[in-house]
Amino acid sequence: MMQIAFNSFLAALLMIPAITLLCRRDSRVRALPSWLLLLTLLAGTIVAGFSFWRGGRLALDLSWVTPFPFALTVDRLSAFFLLLICVVGAPVVLFSTAYVERHYSPTKADWLWVLLPLFLLSMVLVVIASTAFAFLFGWELMTLFSAALILIDGDSERRRHNIFIYLMMMHASAAAVIASFFLFLPNASTLDFTSMRAAVAAMPMGLRSAIFLMSFVGFGTKAGIVPFHLWLPKAHPIAPSPVSALMSAVMLKTAIYGFVRFTFDFLGGGPAWWGYLVLLAGAVTGLLGILYALTEHDMKRLLAYSSVENIGIIYLGLGAALVLMANNSPAWATAALVAALLHALNHSLFKSLLFLGAGAISEATHTVDIEFMGGLLKRMKITGIVFLIGCCSIIGLPLLNGFVSEWVILRAFIAGSELTSLSCAILLPLMAGVLALIGGIAVAVFAKLYGVAFLGRPRSLQAEEATEVATAMQVAMALLAASCVIIGILPGIVLNPLTALASDLMHTAALPEAALSIAHTLPWVAVCIAVLIIVIAGFRRITRITATWACGLPALNGRMQYSSAAFSKPLRTVFSRVYEADRTVDVHYAQQPYFAKSITYRSVRTTSFEKSLYRPAVDMIVSLATRLRKLQTGNMQVYLLYIFLALVALLLWMRFA
Amino acid sequence: MGLIELAAAKALASSAVFLFITLLMMASAKRISTCIVLFSIQSAIMAAEILAIAYASKSIEAYAVASLVITVKVIAIPWLLFRIIKSLKASQDVAASTTGAQSVFIMAGLILLSFFAVAPYAKTLRLDEDLLAAAIALLLAGAFLMISRKKALMQVIGLLVLENGIFVAVLATTYSMPLVIEIGIFFDLLMGVFLMGLFVFRIRDTFEHLDVSKLRRLRG
Amino acid sequence: MNLAINLIQALLLIAIAPLVSGVIARMKARIQNRHGASLWRPYADLLKLFRKQDLIPNTASVLFRFAPTILFAATAAAAAFVPMLHPAALFGVSGDIILLVYLLAIGRFFLMLGAMDGGSSFGGLGASREALVSALAEAPLLLALISVAILSHTVSLSGIVLTTVQQGPLHLSAVYAFALGALVLIAIAETGRIPVDNPSTHLELTMIHEAMVLEYSGPSLALIEWASAIKLTLIMAMLAGIFAPWGMATSASIAALLLAPLALIFKLTVLAVSIAVIESSIAKLRIYLIPDFLGMASALAILAVAFTALMR
Repeated sequence: MMQIAFNSFLAALLMIPAITLLCRRDSRVRALPSWLLLLTLLAGTIVAGFSFWRGGRLALDLSWVTPFPFALTVDRLSAFFLLLICVVGAPVVLFSTAYVERHYSPTKADWLWVLLPLFLLSMVLVVIASTAFAFLFGWELMTLFSAALILIDGDSERRRHNIFIYLMMMHASAAAVIASFFLFLPNASTLDFTSMRAAVAAMPMGLRSAIFLMSFVGFGTKAGIVPFHLWLPKAHPIAPSPVSALMSAVMLKTAIYGFVRFTFDFLGGGPAWWGYLVLLAGAVTGLLGILYALTEHDMKRLLAYSSVENIGIIYLGLGAALVLMANNSPAWATAALVAALLHALNHSLFKSLLFLGAGAISEATHTVDIEFMGGLLKRMKITGIVFLIGCCSIIGLPLLNGFVSEWVILRAFIAGSELTSLSCAILLPLMAGVLALIGGIAVAVFAKLYGVAFLGRPRSLQAEEATEVATAMQVAMALLAASCVIIGILPGIVLNPLTALASDLMHTAALPEAALSIAHTLPWVAVCIAVLIIVIAGFRRITRITATWACGLPALNGRMQYSSAAFSKPLRTVFSRVYEADRTVDVHYAQQPYFAKSITYRSVRTTSFEKSLYRPAVDMIVSLATRLRKLQTGNMQVYLLYIFLALVALLLWMRFA
Repeated sequence: MGLIELAAAKALASSAVFLFITLLMMASAKRISTCIVLFSIQSAIMAAEILAIAYASKSIEAYAVASLVITVKVIAIPWLLFRIIKSLKASQDVAASTTGAQSVFIMAGLILLSFFAVAPYAKTLRLDEDLLAAAIALLLAGAFLMISRKKALMQVIGLLVLENGIFVAVLATTYSMPLVIEIGIFFDLLMGVFLMGLFVFRIRDTFEHLDVSKLRRLRG
Repeated sequence: MNLAINLIQALLLIAIAPLVSGVIARMKARIQNRHGASLWRPYADLLKLFRKQDLIPNTASVLFRFAPTILFAATAAAAAFVPMLHPAALFGVSGDIILLVYLLAIGRFFLMLGAMDGGSSFGGLGASREALVSALAEAPLLLALISVAILSHTVSLSGIVLTTVQQGPLHLSAVYAFALGALVLIAIAETGRIPVDNPSTHLELTMIHEAMVLEYSGPSLALIEWASAIKLTLIMAMLAGIFAPWGMATSASIAALLLAPLALIFKLTVLAVSIAVIESSIAKLRIYLIPDFLGMASALAILAVAFTALMR
């Protein structure tokens, strides 16, 4: 029965675009495709949940329609990521039902409802594919559909430039992924996952390392590892809010799925240097991501950089798993993998919540620049509260889901101190310090975001006149917030099946008892804190509303508060070597030198990677191409000469080989 | 196991830790007098080590060396340096070219480096790894102090710490200190400190400051 | 039986916290040649504040009203983690150092947000400085605690205390020395004492913690003051428990149960006097020298972790 549900789930995703096109004329059934999509995603959740919690396998083979082998299988790992897609996709679609009709003209809304199910279908294809062709098909479609969805919001010069960079880098990542698949070719000619898994045993170490490096680069670019993260803050902020939510929350996780599938399932782990590379990438990505987020006051760019940071944390967990596995500590390696996968799920939940919140705010205030917001919590209560839950989750405060995954990663790092290799025994606990530093800066970043946008006085007229958004949008965000709280207090719900998943993948027996002890403590702590809050709040207090003390001055306005740049200044000064700020001060004098008419201060933070890494690489490629162009002379005799030379070379090679 | 034996064993076992602590405090010190006090504490720790060895091996020579260390390094040289500072009436600032946290980080790195450098030798020669690493760390720390502190008196103190490191190295490798060598080194040191004291006054009188980096103006 | 003692222990910590800050204030006054207020003065302050009105700024939202409650609840829950009378606590067995550190972070986060909700620039000032201090103090705190946890092969605070009690006072090791150094520096930063922050300053430009609570009054302010006293006592008890736990009741005999509170009082008094002496003898650091201070703590914490492997 689940098989039928699975097949119909896929068929529905394929047919909803057609339904959109059919229903667009009639205003009574215009809402039909969106609700159908919601129902489809709920069905998908049930299918995925069945496979994830009960461990059932589902399969679908479509090779008879396609020229290359095209088979789909849902094993536990695929089910986890399918569950992630559907559980995040459903609230996002619910949000879009209200958001899209307010923001877009009917034509653009139609385009969105045609492309959105196809985008979701492509991501589903990636995680349930069991042949290389199906995987790559879905992979490329993901890029195309997301780029098309970004274009819905407009195609100005700057937007086209950003989309171009996005497509280019995704193409490069696809090339690396294709290469890593093709490296299996001599040993597994049909390129389906079962034969690939079996073929690894016969491969030499060098070939396995090559596959690992190719997949690391390919999936890393898609996930947003520094220095391949350049496209993330360019592409995510310019998309429509629901699409940004899906891209940041779900699309990045397909890259994590690919990396886990390659490294842990096919290759089955490797030497310790793989783990060191992944740890280094994770640490640098996490630190740089959150440091760049500190300087942003465009809400969506800040959230995009914070996604980079969380991908770094996931890679820290994966690196710990690889190092522990290479050092004969399989139980703790499994725990680290569980933590990384759990963090992927948690991040998709709270990041989609935050992006939807950004969409709601941009609808209410018509801006995404937090320097023009303020006092929104008083005016948008529900949005404010669920956004607060999202911020607390992303920081990793206890009783919310972010804390659980960070706790398990920290436990795995501490367990690394018991390894016999001296450098590992020192390195892994120090990585816990790096994770703590990342978390500490994240607290500052999100205190800044929430404090400047939602609290205090409004800094502009639009913020003052903001009102609460539509009910569907509130419900969608509240659902995501509720899931964050539930996983935060009762993490066993997700931890137990994840443990089974990871144990299957890494062929270990069981996790050490200490690895998941947090699941027993958190409910008690939650009860304790709840009791304390109820007791304290129950006391009757006399309150009086007054004006804020302003040192005797008549009135305070919003501009007198701390702005986002002011809040982040102390930390920015400490880390000033990371940013290369370009500062200019322009003064126009009414009368030199004392009476200034206007003073303009500009501080632009340049992305050093663009200057020092990408520009030289691009210049080198372009100069190489220019030199190669000389081969194309246009002269017929020269082309005949080329063919002649090739013939001669072939004869000589035949003779001597 | 008498109390003295216990104390002797404890002193030998954990003296390396105390030496590291004095090094880290010296890295973060902001005044010259703090550094001098820390140097005298370091020498006192070394004297305690020698006394422990003397008690264990019951050699008169070791007792003599210990008393020499106490009189010269713990009392005489610091007293001399304090007198120089008082009569110079110069500021006590250490004039470091690295901030406090950077110095402590570099010192921590030097300590870890000395452990990694010493590990294979300690195993093959069957020596106390901690003490040998402490010796190398003292050497490197003395050199670091001389490089990063610009006051002339800090150069002296760096040299003294370096000499302490050599002393501890001999201690760690041979568990004894030949009296003859020790007297020779002390004599050199005393002459060095006297001469430095004289020169410090001459430098101050001629140039009116003691900042070593400003001596660069002497080049042609 | 165990549960009862643990509950009493947690409530005891919450109850004596104002007394501890009263002792510190009295000691400081004596060192500065003043007579000083009574030791029980903080209790009188709390009673007075609880009876007053709660003034809410007109721009403030529901978060301003609830931030003190959440801060107090989180800090009080954290107090249930720390062993004081015997090497176990209410959440001691399964509660661990990571959860303790992050529970304190909840309080800090909501205090920062509450400060920004006041709508004045002082709140933002305090919050941004607190963000600076807490961002840089979190890593050394966690690393130092991890280093002692690695030595004790357990992550729970009561397990660490038990291991140290059983080892005896002569077992000094480099890890404990460096971790103690790092934790003392971090304790000063986390509890907002000189040289990081002056808890009794009246100049807004020198404030970190005080600037965040400028807008609060009445019961809200009482909750915040009490919570910061609990945090101070908690950190002092943690330091005493990790580095000098001898005197705690390891058996249920009458002698041990009588000795434990006396030992606790002695240790807390020693720590309170040392804090008072440090506060009276050093000047407060400039804000931009605080990262330097915390950098030293980080270096010590990294050394502590490295030495767990080097001196095996």
